[in-house]
Amino acid sequence: MSILVVGLNHKSAPVAVREKLAFNANNIPTALSLFLHRYQTAETVILSTCNRVEMYASTMDGAVKTEDILSFFADFHKIALDEFSPYMYYYTDDRAVNHLFFVTASLDSMVLGESQILSQVKEAYTTASMGEATGKVMNQLFQQSLNVAKIVHTRTAIGKKKVSISSVAVEFAEKIFQNFTGKMVLVVGAGEMCELLLKHLYEEGARTIVVANRTFERAQEIANAFQGQAIKYELLGEYLAKADIIISSTSAPHYVIHADQVKDAIRLRRGNPMFLLDIAVPRDIEPEIANIDNVYLYNIDDLQSVVSQNIDERTREVEKCRSIIEEEVEHFMARLEEMKIEPAITLLRNHFHTIGREELGRLKTKLKSIDNGDWEQVVYTVERTINKLLHHPAKVAKQEAKNGGGYRYVEIIRKLFGIFHHTDRT
Amino acid sequence: MDIFSHIPFIIVILLYFISSVWSIGYIIKPVFFNKKVGKWSMMMGFLIHSGFLIFLGLESGNIPITNVYESFISLIWCILFVYINLDYLYKLPALDTFLVPVVTALSLWALTFDGGDLLITVSLQSFWLIAHIIPIFIGYASFTISFSLSIMYLTQQRQLKHKLFGPLFTRLPSLEGIDRLMWKTISFGFPLLTLGLVFGTFWVKTQNILGEQWYLDYKVVLGLATWLIYAALLHMRLVSSFHGTKIACLTIAGFCLVLFTFIGTFFMGSKHAFQKVSEHTHEKFE
Repeated sequence: MSILVVGLNHKSAPVAVREKLAFNANNIPTALSLFLHRYQTAETVILSTCNRVEMYASTMDGAVKTEDILSFFADFHKIALDEFSPYMYYYTDDRAVNHLFFVTASLDSMVLGESQILSQVKEAYTTASMGEATGKVMNQLFQQSLNVAKIVHTRTAIGKKKVSISSVAVEFAEKIFQNFTGKMVLVVGAGEMCELLLKHLYEEGARTIVVANRTFERAQEIANAFQGQAIKYELLGEYLAKADIIISSTSAPHYVIHADQVKDAIRLRRGNPMFLLDIAVPRDIEPEIANIDNVYLYNIDDLQSVVSQNIDERTREVEKCRSIIEEEVEHFMARLEEMKIEPAITLLRNHFHTIGREELGRLKTKLKSIDNGDWEQVVYTVERTINKLLHHPAKVAKQEAKNGGGYRYVEIIRKLFGIFHHTDRT
Repeated sequence: MDIFSHIPFIIVILLYFISSVWSIGYIIKPVFFNKKVGKWSMMMGFLIHSGFLIFLGLESGNIPITNVYESFISLIWCILFVYINLDYLYKLPALDTFLVPVVTALSLWALTFDGGDLLITVSLQSFWLIAHIIPIFIGYASFTISFSLSIMYLTQQRQLKHKLFGPLFTRLPSLEGIDRLMWKTISFGFPLLTLGLVFGTFWVKTQNILGEQWYLDYKVVLGLATWLIYAALLHMRLVSSFHGTKIACLTIAGFCLVLFTFIGTFFMGSKHAFQKVSEHTHEKFE
């Protein structure tokens, strides 16, 4: 029994290569069934996201090799082998398990600790199991990898702190306002970052959105996307006092919002806090505004420094995650070894019981006059003896198998008891 | 009072102290300080505190405000009583971190009044006493909580202004959330304070307990000042819908005045129906 992974990711391959190998939700089932058609004893799962394409496979008899998966990729995507093979990585057995656990726990992701990969792995596994491409090994492996990812996320701070500019900005706003319902968000300028921030705020419940931009059409475009209102740029001053959250990202070479305006606004607001976010370079909002009471002003550097601090914090957690994963890989491999020996033990049990039944049959013909009650006692005693005899060897064999000698014990059992039927395939 | 009567309240203070350390520790290093330890030691302290008050009440046959010490620890009990109910209703995170240390400090201060010789001179069975004291105590208690909330507000505000985004920043709630609860506690306490003062005025007018010039009693004057400061706060908020740091600062000033009215006046020589035991006996002899 072997586990194998062949794949590439954002670290090993440029996007030009990744996109050639990528699978999508529509062609994965076809790919799975084609692969299983080629290698009928195999189990397999295909994981394809924008950052990685990986194929996990397992066979009892080692029928699938790395080269087989590579040539399958080449055939399926109709590209030459040497176009992508230099970018691929290959892992087998415990290293393959380790790799999957690492990937699922989001330690191999572009954004360390992000949670999206967990659902992507889950989806890849569901697709494979729906297509009946998984068996005992892949089921165990993927279910366990999802478990391990959850353990890693709860026991460490790998996914705790926010690591994107917009989520940090929203976190700040949440420390000023209890919620965003009824709060007015005023957006000045129409950059991409603005849209991202708006999307985040919208998801958190902000519904009163006003957009001001030099080109009115662009303002309308954004406003429509968030059911907001576009205003003429010249009217900006009138809306300042009404706005609770102001996001500015114009490309103006000078300040767009001045201290005097904000002072007036805060007076009109009677001290109701204002949250200003300046994500433009050069800056849009006069920095002195930060000194006004009840006004909270942040610029892109403030956000960036929190983001990098949080990334550092996540990076510091990696070692902790690594040791959790190593421990879990060990457990999993032990469980796998145990799985290898289980069929042999079942066979052994059947073998003993068959002999028992045969001998009982012989005895029954000899003891014709025995009454039913006594006979039941005899049958019971024989079965009990067999079970007792087998109990200890089965226990020890399982125990020893956990330490990696599974295959050896299967062989020994077969040789010692002369069980040579090749039926213990999973 | 003999030495043994100290012990229950010292245990109470100890429990409040543990609770303070743990609730502060939880904010800074949650790995070492379990939140539950803070919560349960406070609850234990509160239970023993309640038991102690019941014991004092049963011993004297009156509500436990017969001297300054007793009224002080009754007030502290009220603070926690209001807090526990408020926490149940609104669940504002980290409020215990700001309140329990205040409670602990007040309890330690209360202990210094133990064995003091200022005794109450009015009849403890009087309806007026109850009607005067209880609303005022509950009112003071909710002002204490609004004080803790304003400290919390200013702390969070400072962190936002100075861009200190540490563990404290993460655990404290939003400014708006703190502001709202601060507002609730003030608007809950104010009518009670008013009621207590009105009953007090009736009492003093009908039974002449503070003498002819009752309106010159420090406690009466300062009580009125306290009422005015909270009335001003309410006015600012209701009529001008004022928010932010200024309200928080005024709330702190209001609480200082509450403390001064409650305890400070005793240092200024105001008796407000309390009398030194020595004078009391002296009077009797005459």
